[in-house]
Amino acid sequence: MTMQEDHKDCFVLEGKMALPNQNFAGRLGSRFLIAIRDRKKIMGLKCNPCGKTFVPPREYCEKCWTKIADNWVELGTEGELVNFTVVRYGDRHLPKKPPYILGQIRLDGADTPLTHIVEGIDPRDVESGIRVKAVFAEKTTNTIMDIDHFEPV
Amino acid sequence: MTEYFGTTVADIFATMPKRFKPEEAKEVDIAIGYEATGEGGGKWKATIKHGTLKVETVEGELTDCKTTIHTDAETFVGVTLGMIGALDALSSQKLRVAGDPKFLMLLLPKIFTPYVAPAKKPDAVTARDIIATLAERFRPEKAEGVAMTIGYDLAGEGGGRWTIIIRDGKCAVREGLADPLTVKMTMEAKTYAGMMVGTIEAVTAFTSGQVKIEGDMAAAGATAKYFRKYVVPGATEAEELISLRVTNSIEQRFATGPVMGRWFAGIREKKFLANRCPKCGRTQIPPREICAWCRVRVHEFVEVGPKGVVTHFDIVYFASPDPLTGAVRDTPYATVYVVLDGATEREAITVDLKKEDIPRLKEGARVRPVWAEVTTGSYRDLIGVELDEEEGSL
Repeated sequence: MTMQEDHKDCFVLEGKMALPNQNFAGRLGSRFLIAIRDRKKIMGLKCNPCGKTFVPPREYCEKCWTKIADNWVELGTEGELVNFTVVRYGDRHLPKKPPYILGQIRLDGADTPLTHIVEGIDPRDVESGIRVKAVFAEKTTNTIMDIDHFEPV
Repeated sequence: MTEYFGTTVADIFATMPKRFKPEEAKEVDIAIGYEATGEGGGKWKATIKHGTLKVETVEGELTDCKTTIHTDAETFVGVTLGMIGALDALSSQKLRVAGDPKFLMLLLPKIFTPYVAPAKKPDAVTARDIIATLAERFRPEKAEGVAMTIGYDLAGEGGGRWTIIIRDGKCAVREGLADPLTVKMTMEAKTYAGMMVGTIEAVTAFTSGQVKIEGDMAAAGATAKYFRKYVVPGATEAEELISLRVTNSIEQRFATGPVMGRWFAGIREKKFLANRCPKCGRTQIPPREICAWCRVRVHEFVEVGPKGVVTHFDIVYFASPDPLTGAVRDTPYATVYVVLDGATEREAITVDLKKEDIPRLKEGARVRPVWAEVTTGSYRDLIGVELDEEEGSL
C-alpha cells in the first residue's frame, strides 16, 4: 500500500535553548588569576611547617593540613620543564592548534608543577629539564591563558 | 512611602540626628523649616541650638523658622543625594528658600555628614532606578563621534519606555520611544535590572530569548561601553571574584509531520483536532499516525472541545528554579488536566490555569481555552485555560 501523504499541515516548530555554564575560580583561584592578569606575577601558597610551596593555590597543605590560604609567596616567572606531552589531535575546545607541547613547569620557588603550554621549541627537540619562562598574554581573559605560554629561556 | 532615587524624604529626616556633628554646631542657633510637596512629602522642622538638634514633623504652618526650604519631594531627595544640583534646582525655581540660601549651603555640609541612601538588595533595584542614573554614568570620551538612539521597552513593574539619545558626546534620556531608533530592546523590566546589577548574564538573557533586539545588533552590543557600570546604591565594593560564564545557544527545529501537523494547524484556527481510532474509538490527542493500542492506521479527524472538564490538577506553591536560567516561576501556579468535550477519558491535555482562578479550582470544573492574541500554529498559541463559570461549574 502506498501512503497518500498530504504535506499541507506539516509544520516546523522553531525553538532556541540557552545552556549557560558557569565556573567559579574560587576565592584563592581568583586572587591567583588576578595577580597574573594585573601584575604579571605568579603567586603560590606556602606551608610554613612543611616548607612546601603550592601552585596553583590550595587552601590547605596536602601533607599536614595546615591552613595556608593567607600565606602567599611570589614565585619566579621562570622555571624548569619537569615533564611534558605533545598534543597531536585537534578539537574545538583545545586552546591551540596541534601539535603543541603541554608541559609541567616547576617555577622557581615552587614545589609543585604548573601545567601550561610550551612554545618556541619544536616538539621533536623538547626534553625535560630545560629552563622556560612565562610569556604573559596581551589581551587578558580572566583565565590561566592570561599566561599565553612558556618558552625556552 | 514614595521612593525617589531609591530612598524617601522621611528617611533623610530620620537619619538627621545620626548625621549631626554637635562639635561643629556649637555656635549655631537656627530653626530650619522644610516643606516637601507631592507624594512622600511633608513638613519638618530642624532646630539646631548650641550643639543640639531637634527634628520634628510639623502639621499645619511652619512657624518660628529663621529660614524655610520649599520644594517637591523628588527634588528634595535628588538635591540631598547630589543627583540634582542645588544651584540648578534654585535657578529653575524647583527649590525655593525663604531666607539666605547661601548661608544654608555653607552651613548644612558643615554640621551634617552627607546623607547616603540605604543599601538596597540588588533585586530591589528597578529598571526605572537604573535608567534614572544613565545620563550621569555616561562616558563622553568613549562615545566620540557616536550618534544613535536606543529604545528600551521594559515591561512589568518598575518598567516603562525610554529613548536614550547619544549625539555629539552628549547623552539624553527621554520617556517614550522615539522614531526612528538605531536599535530597540524589548524585555521584562526585571530582566533589564538583573543584567545591570549583574544577577543575570546578558548573553544568557539574549540567547534564551528573554531579550528581543530589533535594529542594529552591533549597536546594541556596543552601548555598554558608553556608560560606567551601574552600582547598587550603598553597596560596598566586594573583593573581585572570577567566575567564567559561557553560554551555548542551541537552535531547535521540530518537524511535526503531516499527522501532528493537523493538530497545530487546528490550534492556529483555535480548534482542537484529534484523530479517532477506527477500532477502539479513542480520540488521540495529539493525533498520531497509528493507534498504539490497536496497531491500526488512524485517519479520521474529529474536532473536540474547545471547552472541557478538569479531571485533576496540581497547584505548585514552591517552584524549582529553571536549571538553565535560574529563573523561578511566579507561584502559585496550577497545572490542570483537561478532558476536552468529545474526547475520550484518558486523552487529557495538560495546561496552565489562569492564576486568578486558582482559589476557585475544583475537580470537575468546566474550563475554556485562553488563546494567544496571534496564533501561529505553535504550542505557544494555547496560553492555558480559565474557569468557564457562566455555564455554571460544579
